[in-house]
Amino acid sequence: MTCTTVGIVDYGMGNHTSVMHSFRDLDFRVRISADTKGLSSTDVLVLPGVGAFPSAMQALHQRGLVGYLQEQAREQRPIIGICLGMQLLASASHEHHFTAGLDLIPGEVTHLTHSKWHIGWNTVECVRQDPLLQASDGESFYFNHSFSYQGPAEYQVCVSRYPEPFTSVIRRGSVVGIQFHPEKSQAAGRKLLKNLVEGLGHA
Amino acid sequence: MLKKRVVGVVTIKNGWAVQSFGYRHYLPLGKPECLVENLDRWGADEILVQVIDRSAANLGPDFELLERLGGLGLETPLIYAGGIRSESDGVKVIQLGADRIVVDTLLHVDLSSVRQLSDRLGAQALIASMPLSYQEGTIKWFDYRQRMSTSTSLEILNIIKSGVISEVLVTDWMHEGKPSGFDKNLLSKFPLQDVPLIAFGGLNTIEQMAILLQQSNVSAIAVGNFLSYKEHAIQKFKEQLADMPLRLAGYESKGSLLADV
Repeated sequence: MTCTTVGIVDYGMGNHTSVMHSFRDLDFRVRISADTKGLSSTDVLVLPGVGAFPSAMQALHQRGLVGYLQEQAREQRPIIGICLGMQLLASASHEHHFTAGLDLIPGEVTHLTHSKWHIGWNTVECVRQDPLLQASDGESFYFNHSFSYQGPAEYQVCVSRYPEPFTSVIRRGSVVGIQFHPEKSQAAGRKLLKNLVEGLGHA
Repeated sequence: MLKKRVVGVVTIKNGWAVQSFGYRHYLPLGKPECLVENLDRWGADEILVQVIDRSAANLGPDFELLERLGGLGLETPLIYAGGIRSESDGVKVIQLGADRIVVDTLLHVDLSSVRQLSDRLGAQALIASMPLSYQEGTIKWFDYRQRMSTSTSLEILNIIKSGVISEVLVTDWMHEGKPSGFDKNLLSKFPLQDVPLIAFGGLNTIEQMAILLQQSNVSAIAVGNFLSYKEHAIQKFKEQLADMPLRLAGYESKGSLLADV
């Protein structure tokens, strides 16, 4: 067991069980909490998520987590957003209607342009040098989404194609967003999560 | 490039994993957890767990089973089917570790709940289960609770077409469990040709699978009974389907051969 503790942000919209098991299998300590005190004693915050953007933001507001996450990002705490959790990192989303996001990474979440949804295993291509993601270049991961991030190229680390390229990984400093589900992507997902947590945790 | 998928199916009745034949005869296989763990180890692209006795008895989803499966730490996307009656059922199923859910009875009795589930979880999380047969030149939709087939209604086709549901699980229920049984007409004559379909029921030969995977409207093939006859069945199918747009077969172990010292 490593001494790194992963704090899973519990706001009622996540697949926490799956995410928790992934990190535990990698020998990280895991704490699931909606309590800011509990989360503050962890090394890396993880924001999972399954569902719609407006309900998720509402749930974060109700639990007083919006300001907390913004403050943690300002203090350079590592934060990893997964799937919907990645989208929440953006400035806003157009899912159902316009909703402001956490605004940790400038950009907006819009509907996929060439399809109603993107479901299944697809490869990621690194479009920017990033030591945390480079080892995953060309690997396949499990996607399940209808919306994707659109924003400045400087924050885009990886893209995937369906058939047009869309952003699959974003990063701004110690905040990373992953559009796919590494916790459900078998060996490739395990490797990526390990690299991310170890890399961000020691940055 | 987005790959097509091989879905491993575990069918559960009275708490036991079973082989199912034509929606009528069942043979016990063992504990569901053991079969699901195998599929996870073998690198299935998705695992579908379908509990077939929940809706008819109005028992709701099998949350205890989902908790047990959640405890396994699966690394493969999990699809759950069985007993989902409402939006809150669907949300709880997802919270317990499923990535997607299948609705069947709801399509017959409560389309407004299907829409609510889609709004809450996103259409990508929602699959429509349609047990079909091809009789006298037409597609018939089977209601397993009433054990009768009817034509597919305009209402159900419209809801699928509208994008409330992301994929349709087309089950050849008459040929389920029968080697080489899947009737290709169910896909070629399906009234909506631009909806992604998952083919299931009577799929066991490579030739049959390859033909289906080459169809543009087939996003996945699902195999249940025929995975039970050999170890690493998923990898073996995938190796023989290497020229298809599938994720490669993988063999891996999470355990180390080195002893902790």
